[in-house]
Amino acid sequence: MQNKIILKADNIVKYFYQPDKFQVLKGVGFEVKRGEFVALVGKSGSGKSTLLYVLSTLDTDYEGDLTFNDTLLSNKKQNELAAFRNEHIGFVFQFHYLLPEFSALENVMIPALKLNKKSKEEIEASAFDNLKLLGLGDQALKKANKLSGGQQQRVAIARALINKPSIIMGDEPTGNLDSKNSQVVFDIFREISKERGQTIITVTHDDDFANNCDRIIEMMDGKIQNK
Amino acid sequence: MASYINYRISQIHLTSNIRQTIVAMLGVIFGISMYVFMTGFMTGVNNAQNDLAFSSLAHVRVYNDRPADNTNIVSKVFPSTVVNLRHPKIIKYTDGIKNSNVILDALKSQKDITGVTTQVNINVFFKNAGNKINGSVSGVDVVNENKVFNTSKYITEGNWNELKQRSDGIFVSVDLANNLSLKVSDNLNIFTSDGISKNYKVIGLFKTDVASIDKSKAYININAARQLIGANQSYVSDIQINIKDYNKTKNIINQITSIIPYKTESWQMANQQLAAGSSLRDIIAIAVSLVILLVAGFGIYNIMNMTINQKIREIAILKAMGFSGPDVTQIFLTQAIVIGIIGGFIGLGFGYLTANLVNKIPFELAGMSTLPMAYTLKDYILAFMFGLVTTFIAGYIPARKASKIDPVTILRG
Repeated sequence: MQNKIILKADNIVKYFYQPDKFQVLKGVGFEVKRGEFVALVGKSGSGKSTLLYVLSTLDTDYEGDLTFNDTLLSNKKQNELAAFRNEHIGFVFQFHYLLPEFSALENVMIPALKLNKKSKEEIEASAFDNLKLLGLGDQALKKANKLSGGQQQRVAIARALINKPSIIMGDEPTGNLDSKNSQVVFDIFREISKERGQTIITVTHDDDFANNCDRIIEMMDGKIQNK
Repeated sequence: MASYINYRISQIHLTSNIRQTIVAMLGVIFGISMYVFMTGFMTGVNNAQNDLAFSSLAHVRVYNDRPADNTNIVSKVFPSTVVNLRHPKIIKYTDGIKNSNVILDALKSQKDITGVTTQVNINVFFKNAGNKINGSVSGVDVVNENKVFNTSKYITEGNWNELKQRSDGIFVSVDLANNLSLKVSDNLNIFTSDGISKNYKVIGLFKTDVASIDKSKAYININAARQLIGANQSYVSDIQINIKDYNKTKNIINQITSIIPYKTESWQMANQQLAAGSSLRDIIAIAVSLVILLVAGFGIYNIMNMTINQKIREIAILKAMGFSGPDVTQIFLTQAIVIGIIGGFIGLGFGYLTANLVNKIPFELAGMSTLPMAYTLKDYILAFMFGLVTTFIAGYIPARKASKIDPVTILRG
C-alpha cells in the first residue's frame, strides 16, 4: 500500500509570457508514492514553485499530463478541479492566509463545510480535535488575527488537514517562522505522513527541513536535477 | 445547505466592517427614499392638477360639431384641378343634440362609465344695471352634474339642490358676481345672442379656482335653459361623461363612436397641454429618480470593488481550498443583495417619512392648503424593485471580477 503511486507528472512543460516568452518547466516528469514526504528544492527561478502550483491543479496553463490515482487531471474544467482540490488537496503557504474575522475554529471548518459531507456538529468536533492535535485547543474560539504568527501557521495546517486530503502541498510553510516554530511544523508534517499515510509535497528553502524529508527533488533551470 | 459556508462568509464580510456596509446601504436608502418621494410628489401634483381640471372638464364630451368642409367638391374628384371658389360657407343644419334620450340609453349599457350628465350651454351677456359682461350659462341636470363634476363642493353660498326646483334661480361664480356687484337674492338679467332677455334670481355663488370659469360662468336649471332658447324637452348641447380611469378614454371613445352619430372628444384631445404637462412631470420624476438610483448603484459598485481588492488574498485562498468561481460570485453577490434589501426597506420607510413631512408644508394656492402628495403602493413596490435591480447589477460586476481572480498570481505574491 505504501508503494502505490498517488501523483504522477509526465513531461510537464510551461511557459511564462510576461514580460517575454520564457520556458519555466522543460518537460518535468516524476512520481510520488502514497505517504511520501517530498521536498522540492532549488534556487529561486528554478521553477520549483511553478511546478508545485501545476501539481496542485491551481495552475492549469501547462502542457503534459498530470495523473492522480489513475485519474487524468489535465483535461478537467476549473470548477471540477476546485471540487477536486477541496476533497483531495490541503494547502499550507508561506503566509497563513486565514480569514482574519473568523475564529480559529471556523477557519479550520471552512473546507469541510464546503465539502459538505458531514453535519456541522461533526465538522466542528473534528476541527476542534485537529486544533488540539496542534496544541491550539485553548485558542479555538479566538479570532484568527489575534493569534501569533506560529499559532496562525498551525491553524492553517489544521485547516489543510480537515478534509483528510490525500496530498498536502506546502509552499515554503516555514519560510516565515523562527527555527522553533519551523521545527514544530516539520514535526507535524513528519507525523502526518508517517501515522496517517498522507502524502506531503512542499517547496522549501530550508536545508535542514529538506534533509529530513523522505526524498528531495531538486530543480534547476526548469528540470529535475536528481531523483 | 450546500452554500451555508458561502452565506456565512458573506455575513462575516458584512458585519466585520460595519461602517463600510452602512455607507453602501446609505446610498441605497437615499436612492430609494428619493425615488419614493419624487414619484409621490409628482403624482400628487398631477392629481391636484387633474382635480382642478376635472372640476369643469368631463373625461369625455359628446357634442354636435361643425360638419366637415365639403365646399370644394371638384378638387376631391380631380385633385390637380385649379378651382376658383369664392366665399364658400359651411352651414350647420342642426344645432346641438336633439334626440338626447336615445343617446343616453345607449350610454347606459357601457360598463366603464361612472357618470353622465347633460348640459345646455348658451353664450350670453350678463347685465346688472349698467354693467354688461359676456360669459356662458350652463343649463344643467342638477343631480347628475354634481355626480360628474362634484359641483356642490365649489358652492360658497346657497344650496346646490335648490336649483332643481327653482326655474328662475341662478348660481353665479364669485368673480362674476363681484364684477356685477351681485349678492345672493339679487336679480340678474341675461341677454342671449338671439336677443332674448330674461331675469333670474341669484340663489348661490360658487368658486372653482379656475380663473377663467370664476369670471364668466353661471348655472341654471336645464329646463330653464331650454326655455330660454326655445328648444324642445330632449335638446342638449353637450353630454358629459365620466369613466372609471380617466387615462383610458381611448377605449371608451372607440366603443361609443360607433353608436353615437355626434363628435366624441376626450379631455386629452380637448386639453393637450394638460395631458402633456402630466406626462412630462412623470418623465422628470422618473428621470431624476433613476439618476439618483444610478448614483447609489455606483456607490455600491465602488464599495464592493474596494472590499474585493482588500480581500483578494482571501478570495485566492478560498479558491485554492476548493471554492469555485460561482461560489465566489455568490459570496459577493449575496452581500450586495442583502445591502439592497435592507437598504431598500429602510429607504421605503425614510421616503414615506419625507413624503409625509413635505405633505405638511403649507401651500395655499388654487384651492390647496399643503403641498400635494400621493402614496401609491405600486410606486413603492416599483422603487424597491428598481433598488434591488440596481444593487444586483452593481454587485454582480465586481463579484464576477472576483470570481475570475487567478489564485496562482495572488498566492505567489
